[in-house]
Amino acid sequence: MASVSLSGVHKRFGDTHVVRGVDLDIADGEFLVLVGSSGCGKSTLLRMLAGLEQPSSGSIAIGGRVVNDVAPRDRDIAMVFQSYALYPHMTVRENMGFGLKVRGAAAPEIDAAVADAARVLDIVHLLDRKPKEMSGGQRQRVAMGRALVRKPKVFLFDEPLSNLDASLRGQMRVELKRLHAKLGVTTVYVTHDQVEAMTLADRIALLDKGVVQQVGTPAELYDWPANRFTARFLGSPGMNFVEAELRDGRVFAPGVDVPVVAELLAEGTTDGPVWIGVRPHDLRLEVGGAAGAIEAEVDVLEPMGWETHAHLRVGDARWTARFDAADAASLTPRGRVRCSVAPRSARLFARDDERALYRAPGPT
Amino acid sequence: MRFGRPAAALLALFALAGTTGCGRVAEPDVVLWHAYRGAEAEALVEVVHAFEERHPEVVVEVVPVPYQAYANKLTSGVPRGNGPDVFLFAQERIGAWADAGILHALEPTQHRAVLEALPGGVVDACRYDGELWGLPVATKTTALFYRSDRLDELGAEPPETTDDLVALAARFTDASAGRFGLVYPVGDFYFHSGWFFGFGGTLSDADGTPRLDAPSNANSFAFVADLLNERRVVPRDCDYGVAKDLFARGDALFAVNGPWFLGELGDDVPFGVVPLPRISATNTPASPFVTVESVLVSSQAARSPEALAAATLLADFIAGPESSVIRAERGGQVVADRTAALSAREPAASAAFGAAAAAGTPMPNAPEMTAIWEPLNRALDQTLRGSRTAEAALVDADADLRRALAPPPPPTSPLPYEVAFGLVLVAAAGLAVRRSRRTALLARMRTSRLAYLYVAPAAIASGLLIFLPFIVGASLSLYAHEQGEFSFVGFANFLNILLARDFGLTHPQSFYFTLVVTVAWTAANVVLHVSIGLALALALRDSWVRLRGVYRVLLIVPWAVPNYITALIWKSMFNFSFGSINGVLRWLGATPVDWFSKWSTAFAANVATNTWLGFPFMMVVSLGALQSIPRDLEDAAEVDGASRWQRFRHITLPLLRPALVPAVVLGTVWTFNMFNIIYLVSGGGPDASTDILITEAYRWAFERGERYGYAAAYGVLIFGVLLIYTWATSGRRATELTDG
Repeated sequence: MASVSLSGVHKRFGDTHVVRGVDLDIADGEFLVLVGSSGCGKSTLLRMLAGLEQPSSGSIAIGGRVVNDVAPRDRDIAMVFQSYALYPHMTVRENMGFGLKVRGAAAPEIDAAVADAARVLDIVHLLDRKPKEMSGGQRQRVAMGRALVRKPKVFLFDEPLSNLDASLRGQMRVELKRLHAKLGVTTVYVTHDQVEAMTLADRIALLDKGVVQQVGTPAELYDWPANRFTARFLGSPGMNFVEAELRDGRVFAPGVDVPVVAELLAEGTTDGPVWIGVRPHDLRLEVGGAAGAIEAEVDVLEPMGWETHAHLRVGDARWTARFDAADAASLTPRGRVRCSVAPRSARLFARDDERALYRAPGPT
Repeated sequence: MRFGRPAAALLALFALAGTTGCGRVAEPDVVLWHAYRGAEAEALVEVVHAFEERHPEVVVEVVPVPYQAYANKLTSGVPRGNGPDVFLFAQERIGAWADAGILHALEPTQHRAVLEALPGGVVDACRYDGELWGLPVATKTTALFYRSDRLDELGAEPPETTDDLVALAARFTDASAGRFGLVYPVGDFYFHSGWFFGFGGTLSDADGTPRLDAPSNANSFAFVADLLNERRVVPRDCDYGVAKDLFARGDALFAVNGPWFLGELGDDVPFGVVPLPRISATNTPASPFVTVESVLVSSQAARSPEALAAATLLADFIAGPESSVIRAERGGQVVADRTAALSAREPAASAAFGAAAAAGTPMPNAPEMTAIWEPLNRALDQTLRGSRTAEAALVDADADLRRALAPPPPPTSPLPYEVAFGLVLVAAAGLAVRRSRRTALLARMRTSRLAYLYVAPAAIASGLLIFLPFIVGASLSLYAHEQGEFSFVGFANFLNILLARDFGLTHPQSFYFTLVVTVAWTAANVVLHVSIGLALALALRDSWVRLRGVYRVLLIVPWAVPNYITALIWKSMFNFSFGSINGVLRWLGATPVDWFSKWSTAFAANVATNTWLGFPFMMVVSLGALQSIPRDLEDAAEVDGASRWQRFRHITLPLLRPALVPAVVLGTVWTFNMFNIIYLVSGGGPDASTDILITEAYRWAFERGERYGYAAAYGVLIFGVLLIYTWATSGRRATELTDG
């Protein structure tokens, strides 16, 4: 078990500046998910942790020891690759035992460790197969088993589930979570999938263009995004935005008029141009023509059965709302609709640097 | 001619295919074949025009025939009436053709005028078995070329005697500056022949039996060994190319060469030609081999008295004075006719060659003489290297010649073989029928008739181009060939080879010695090709994607160069005096190596050359295979804790195997039969010890008494060795593929 900490880590490939100053502390036993869209530098960050890439500057420490100049084999880590990277010419047993074998472990010791790991992952019956004789899910388990065998201090996962089909992915997510709970090994997990990030992480670090946008628990990131990027990245459908004006304790936009919650507002916020953001499920349909805060035109309706997704036009912006199916029954395309939003559910962001203007209330 | 009926029928088929191409438009009176090109061919056409003006009643058809196919077309065409009535060729085949009934003997009295204008020795070259078979037309012989500018600097005249030659050469020689008095391919008996006969050497007994160890034969060998090793006026390892370069750039005073050298020297090279000097020791003229181009009348012309008369008339005219003038003036030939030679384009050189020819020794025309070259060249090489005395080397050479000329194994009745073969065929057919019944092969064939139709062209083509020649070649191994006659000898050739009857087991020419050399050669090459190719592939792997274009060009340029050119370049790089490899050694202060004097160094030179040719293939195969190995695997192994070597050993190498194994099998087969490198770089030397099976087979067929059957048996044995090898490796490959 070990903590991991990165400070001021940069990585350049020629002229491309892939990782731009990442500071991150991962606690012992924590499950940290690095999430971001492709090309954001998350995989490079993971490879630097593994020792497969050298940081251009900054330092990486595992268990309090700076490992910048330590070879991967001496970092006491294990990595699961997106492609699984199983050695095709070896059986599952040989694959799993390889790490111990090249370190000169004795055969009985290897056999015992492989058997243990295989039991944990329920792959004992696969031990004598070769990778091509197994399904994707089985290979995935073997890849995890190979990481498990050496009892490393840190697990590194590089998009381990993205080659699986949707239902298998769901199962494996649960299993991963169970495994982590059982073993309690520090884990760094890279994914582009926000569902994996939300469901698996103790904490999420959201990366964009080589910079960490926000680090926190899934709930923190979802409820109190630090900037408009985080707000947009998490949640499906994503948060709705429209350009608005903060004036006299209210937020105005064409068709929008929402009161500001002063206690949430960051200090020093002045009147001026802002973004207002509302998550789709925070929009309430005002039935019976009551005066609402947001007026919109219905564009397209997508009935899901238990709810209906309504695609709306608010001013020039396109919004999505999730209405109760019964409430939405009266709606027609091209019709006008009035919605309300609880002022505490709306989020405000600065127009210039897109930082959040509402802060999470302190524990009271 | 005794010959298995099927094989004979096949040979006849090929022969017919080869000759029917020369069908005639009208019926001319005389068909004339020649292998001339350029000015010589134009001059001949002019000669024929002149003849037709003089004899309007005779129609002549002139047929140019490519040199390579000439002899074969002639021997297959004349007996069927498809050949020429009159043809031009060097006189050295006269004996074989006269024996085979291809030629019609001439009546000397009918050609008295022509013969009187020709030097007697030249005419003698066209005699065989007491008959005159052709009329000399032109001669090719060697003479002494000198750099007139260098001779002027020494204030000297061209040498009249070998003492003069040696003295002048010694004055000119400055080995440290790369200047040598005399250059020519010293190890080639053809160029040596002037000294050999001048020193009283002889190639046959009084009764005409070939014999190489006459006591006087050693003198000329010792003379040249002295020039090379004691006086050092001749560079070591002097071959034709080295001699030509040194003379052309003025770093050699004298060169021994033939009339073709005139065309190879640029206009800016000041030179003169004189006959080779008199031998001071014997006070007789040097007497180089003379090849006499002659006009011959074929037995086909004797079909009617009129045709024979017309053919004889044409032959007489072609050898006569009017024709000689045209050929000398227009064709640039060194004509045999002494008066006509004066009108040559280069009269002085032509006169010198004419005089040299007059003093020369006609190239022997007896069929068995084709086998003298290899033993004589080897004896000369041994003497010049100092590994044997000239006398001892010549005794060995004579023994080699006897072996090459040994009578073929006694003919046996083919009946037991035919019966056995028939039984095998019947058994195989029976087995095939049983199997096809059991697997319902016929029924399945019928359902996929269209598929068989699609494969048919390829099957027929490979049948005609691969299997048929293979069967003919393999059946040839059951025959012995002697002077155009094939006789059935059964497995005698195989027994002689496999029991090493002709040599001891350890003699360099025995099958087993050669097999060991071949296996060592193949193993050394394949190991080097794979390890160098793989090492370079691993080194270039990362930059491959970026610099792919550059590497491709670098790799394809050596490949695009034909391998015999590469072989010749490397041979010259290994040259003792002028090779760049010894140049580097000298520059480093090391002793230069005489590469081709020892087995180990000659073998190493061959291997180095072939490694240069072979590693790019393995590198490209490895590079391609490396591209297909996901990088993740090595990353995973690195994280797993494998060192660089462990990653290579446990991950990369096993994954490369499926691509490498077929490449290694292919490379092994190529190397096993890599004729060009052995033949051109070491030439099998020293003492045939670096020859491999395929070059030995070639020598038996073409350099040692035309023992085609014996050579074919070698071929079958080579095939057998490779068959076993590929069979064994493909068995292993199959198991590897199934598990993985």
